[in-house]
Amino acid sequence: MPTLPQFLSQAFNGIALGSLLALIASGLSIILGTLGVLNFAHGAMFMLGAYAGFVVLSHFDSFALALALGALMLLLVGFATERGLIRFYYRRPPEDQILVTFGLGIMMVEAVRYIFGPLSQRVPLPSWGQGIVDFGFFLYPLYRVEVIGFVAVLLLGFYILLYRTRIGLVVRAGIEDPLMVELLGTHVRRMFLVVFCMGSMAAGIAGVVYAPLAAVIPNMGESFLVQCFVVVVIGGLGSFPGAVVGGIIVGEILSVTTLFDPAYAQAAIYAVMTLVLIVRPRGLFGTMGRL
Amino acid sequence: MSRTPSDRNSKSAIGKTAVSRRTLMQAGLGVTAAGLLLRETALPAFAANYPALGTFPAGTSGSSIFIGGVMPLTGPYSSSGKDMQLGFELAVDHLNNGSRVTDAIPTLKKGKGVLGQKIQSQVADSETKPDVAIQAATRFIHDNNAIMLTGGISSAVSIAMQKLGQREHVIYMVGNSGSNDTTGKDCQRYGFRAQPSAYMAAKALAPVLAKELGKNLKAAYLVPDYTYGHSVYDSMKEFTEQVGWKTVGEQLAPLGTTDFSSYLLNIANSGADVFLNVAFGADAVTSTKQAQQFGILSKMKYVVPNISQFQAKELGADIMGGTYGTQAWWWTEEDKFPLAKFFVEDFEKKNSYKPRWGASEIYIQMLVWADAVERAGTFYPVEVIKALESGHKVNSIYGEVYYRAGDHQMVRPVPVVVGKKPNEMKGPEDFYRIVDLVPGEQVLPPLGQTGCKMPDIGA
Amino acid sequence: MQGSSGWRLQRWLPELAMLAALLVLPFAFDRWFGSVDLFTRILIWGIFGLGFDLLFGRTGLLSFGQGAFYGTGGFVTAYLLTSNTLDNVWLAMAIGIAAAAVFSVVVGFLALRRVGIYFAMITLAFGELSYFLENSPLANWTGGENGLPGVPAPSIAVGSFKYNFAGSWSGYQLVAGFFFVGFMFARFIVNSPVGAVLTAIRQNPLRTAALGHDVGAYKLAVFVLAAIFAGCGGVLLGIFQSYMPPDAFALDTSGQLVIQTVIGGAGTLIGPTVGAAIWLTLRDLLQQVSAIGDLWKFILGLVFVLLVTFMPNGVVGTIVRLWSRFRPRATHAAIVAAHPDGAVAREALLAPLPTASARGAAPSAFALEARDIRKAYGGIRAVDGVSLALLDGCFHAIIGPNGAGKSTFLRLLKREEAADSGRILLHGVDITAADVTAAYQYGLAKSYQINQLFPQLTVRQNLRIGALGRHRGRLRLDIFRAADSFPKVEKVIAALLDELGLTTCADLTVNTLPYGEKRRLELGLALASRPSVLLLDEPLAGLSPAEREGVKQLIRNLRKGRTVVLVEHDMDAVFELAEQITVLHEGRKLAEGTPKQIANDPLVKEAYLGGAAMP
Repeated sequence: MPTLPQFLSQAFNGIALGSLLALIASGLSIILGTLGVLNFAHGAMFMLGAYAGFVVLSHFDSFALALALGALMLLLVGFATERGLIRFYYRRPPEDQILVTFGLGIMMVEAVRYIFGPLSQRVPLPSWGQGIVDFGFFLYPLYRVEVIGFVAVLLLGFYILLYRTRIGLVVRAGIEDPLMVELLGTHVRRMFLVVFCMGSMAAGIAGVVYAPLAAVIPNMGESFLVQCFVVVVIGGLGSFPGAVVGGIIVGEILSVTTLFDPAYAQAAIYAVMTLVLIVRPRGLFGTMGRL
Repeated sequence: MSRTPSDRNSKSAIGKTAVSRRTLMQAGLGVTAAGLLLRETALPAFAANYPALGTFPAGTSGSSIFIGGVMPLTGPYSSSGKDMQLGFELAVDHLNNGSRVTDAIPTLKKGKGVLGQKIQSQVADSETKPDVAIQAATRFIHDNNAIMLTGGISSAVSIAMQKLGQREHVIYMVGNSGSNDTTGKDCQRYGFRAQPSAYMAAKALAPVLAKELGKNLKAAYLVPDYTYGHSVYDSMKEFTEQVGWKTVGEQLAPLGTTDFSSYLLNIANSGADVFLNVAFGADAVTSTKQAQQFGILSKMKYVVPNISQFQAKELGADIMGGTYGTQAWWWTEEDKFPLAKFFVEDFEKKNSYKPRWGASEIYIQMLVWADAVERAGTFYPVEVIKALESGHKVNSIYGEVYYRAGDHQMVRPVPVVVGKKPNEMKGPEDFYRIVDLVPGEQVLPPLGQTGCKMPDIGA
Repeated sequence: MQGSSGWRLQRWLPELAMLAALLVLPFAFDRWFGSVDLFTRILIWGIFGLGFDLLFGRTGLLSFGQGAFYGTGGFVTAYLLTSNTLDNVWLAMAIGIAAAAVFSVVVGFLALRRVGIYFAMITLAFGELSYFLENSPLANWTGGENGLPGVPAPSIAVGSFKYNFAGSWSGYQLVAGFFFVGFMFARFIVNSPVGAVLTAIRQNPLRTAALGHDVGAYKLAVFVLAAIFAGCGGVLLGIFQSYMPPDAFALDTSGQLVIQTVIGGAGTLIGPTVGAAIWLTLRDLLQQVSAIGDLWKFILGLVFVLLVTFMPNGVVGTIVRLWSRFRPRATHAAIVAAHPDGAVAREALLAPLPTASARGAAPSAFALEARDIRKAYGGIRAVDGVSLALLDGCFHAIIGPNGAGKSTFLRLLKREEAADSGRILLHGVDITAADVTAAYQYGLAKSYQINQLFPQLTVRQNLRIGALGRHRGRLRLDIFRAADSFPKVEKVIAALLDELGLTTCADLTVNTLPYGEKRRLELGLALASRPSVLLLDEPLAGLSPAEREGVKQLIRNLRKGRTVVLVEHDMDAVFELAEQITVLHEGRKLAEGTPKQIANDPLVKEAYLGGAAMP
């Protein structure tokens, strides 16, 4: 039976883990909700962000610059992807959209492997992120604590964008009923482009943030993609608050399960995903709208 | 199936010379008859009088022979796979064209291939998936009549390919596999393994740990939850407990774990003195990075029982400095073995980095196999296997090595290394110091304990 | 095509072509690729894909977890054989396939409650759970990440003749044999009424249920069928390469199946096989071109993206489409000549079927009775205590302003939704708790306000779905007969086509028809079951005055012997056709009586008719 300090430390870890998942998943969720496209290249975009961060940090010492350039690069990638490929697929059945993004994901991963090689790239912790925080009964890396704060700020920004600006209003209406939005005179295609870019940027920023924490290899996005699906299902397809809450929940499951039987941590999230789909498919915050 | 070269030879012979047609026809018939006899009967002819078995003699009756390598060129283990591929290609080059290494081995001095036949080779991408590896290997056997197969990055792939080799009667030189089962309960007559098993590595490592780190320490493990991981954990536990260590934690991380924070948190809270990490490849890099960030590496000693080929390069000497562990080979062995020096120089000239143990394991097995074929005087698998099992010691880049007949485990030195800190490094790739080069005989598991029951050679 | 069942060459052409291909192609593969193995692997994916195409291509259920059944079949068989529990390889194979089927019943029962992307996600989750089970808790049986090597091949021993299926060519023979049988079986399914229902489910599941087919049961049936094919594929994989790999369970495997199906063309049965051929040969070939080297996967991804973009129906699908453009069509004369004519015969064919009265239920004078029906949505009471009693054979209209609850009431009657309270009796049988499919089986049919047709089927095929529902019952797995092999049903369809005036466009696809024809077909679908009670929800909506006359005449012709409930806004039509009229207002009955009574009712005039006296 785990002790209280053990439990609390894992609970905290779950929030740290979950906040990162929330950031990646929120991008996937708004793309899914607005465009109806399940973007299988999302994991690859996360990976591109990490590599962008690596390239910037190997020449300059500024983490802020890495974030900015990473976001910019993914903005461009998202723009090119949506204009060059995705927009031809809006009238195609969902499986076609899934598959073309899947193929795109493969291309991105292999291109990166070709350019950078298969070895893991080293991305150092920023100087303000090194060190350990002493919480009394457990120690925790400073950078991860900062990541929680940073992701919270980003998600807040996202929230403001979605709920307090005109374009955000249009996006949220588009999630509910894109046809109506189009009939009301809004250039829906432009909105789709904006959403796709926003979602890609979210994934890219998450990649830069995550790069110092893991091995930066071409395949790094794959396992995150599937975990994102779980988050999005639990939180609700197309729901931004759902992605946040879903991310935290998945993070907690992954962390707390290890106290009891570590081997079952991954299986546990799939079991919960199945349960949600059977009992309440729209998830916690989703609407049974067009999906 | 595929056309045999002997048909071609007899046809062109008839057209090209100016001798009487009758003589030519007789000669042609004679060659064809001899060819038929070679394949089907046991009548003694010049050198070869062996029956057909596996890809013999279909794969060897031409001017060249084919060797297939199955390695992961994409997927999470592709860094090791690339290293293996380059070692493979260097071995083919050295065998076909001669080199300082092959010059030093009496049977391979000729430098014109094996038994006078040049090696044609191909590498197929296994994508780190056992199914894809088997498909590629089967293709090499059926389509190319491969006379030998090598490669395989994980124990799963290696064990499956060994079984395939046994079934198809094609010799398979295991690429990378650390599991005890490969020469244990899953041993095969047609499979040969060079890499030290988890048992051997643990037995070599434990005394060094006792000496350098201390006895009666508390140990916590991070173990990937599959057979290979369990294998290494079981062996390390056995031998460290013999030197008084106490195992206070085993964190099993399931397949696909990308974030080890929850396991590392438990390890950090375990009160252990030593952290032993069984993860491999990219997982090792991630878990080590994260362990450092959790402060584990600064408050506990760090041991990696089986260090991945590029772990130090990917993590950096500031993290890996002071880490104890074993590797199948490290290039500074060139100081002890002149052949290794030649190998490292030739490899580095071609590929601009010092070879790792992915390359060396493939390379050494290619040469040992070629030596066995030369000694047997034939490619006939039964004779080659007997030659490999004979216990004949081959001078190699690892020193003198041979295979133990009972389980086909190569008896070779096991390097125990410690990571160098940045200020100790004398060059950009000088990551490790070899603490002890333990002779293979000292760490072999007793044959009866391996669980290996060698199948029949013709089975 | 009239009566294309039986031994006509056209029906069996695909099977014969397949047989020829299986006899000839292996030699081509042997010559060009050095051995037949590649073709054998393609066929194993082909078997896996036959089942998936029935599930996805035909029924529209996209599953990302078929690997779970592929792996289950393969591992159960491999375990039984490698652990020496069983000696007989054929028996082990059968058990493996059965295990996959049993597993699919459990998964299907849970997963099929959802549709669309939710269904895809559940199957993905189950696939991943199976992978985890194989790798960890069940590793002692499955070999964990090592898989199970050493799976033996089956052999046949008859007297002194013994043949073992191990090896390259014999392995091909075994797999090709299974593939051919599987292909024939799949073709039977596709041509059978079951296949017709599955296609209908993909295009309009709600209407399919309303036409008397148990959609849930059919979905489960095709899910289990797909799992059987998958299990068979897995079993053959393990035997063919003498090794059962753990990645059979991986998401990659399920994903590769979907990729191959889309490349080849979903809904064509051989699409997945062709897709596998393209994917596997490209993968092998690209790796052998040394100039490409490590970029082979990038190029594969690029080719894949291009294929999906420019061939949306897949390779086979595109070929089929081109072919059907150039196929000759039966002439009008030929169609007319083939069908019985005469109004009398038609009348007999289209008369309502006798109703099955429940055992012990008292025969009722009322065809349809609704007692105190209530239905609320949130705070809005759509239907607030409406009672209705319809005599057998009467023509009853329900009118009222928008929002009065007419359409809701009709939906409740047809059992598309459950009322909050109240009872509904059909010929004395209490159907309050029955579902929409059961209501249809009892003889209650509805024609919809917005056309609910099967857009990619022909008119004839549309009507067949309706007629088969009543004829075959909720669920019948009559796989081995053709969909058009019920003579009685075909006669009814012919009569209906005549009655509806749709004979000339009988073999045109619905989505090419103009609105008027579609509306008549909508009516026809309701009539196809020869119902005794017919609910018509605004049948004249959207029609021109001339078309209205036609439909009104149709309704007059077909009401003989039937009880009809008509909801309409066209007051002229209502007063012309109805014998009794009920007026609803804000969910409650405002007035009821003969047309003349209603026309002069002051309350009605105030609420709805606008005050002027009606003729």
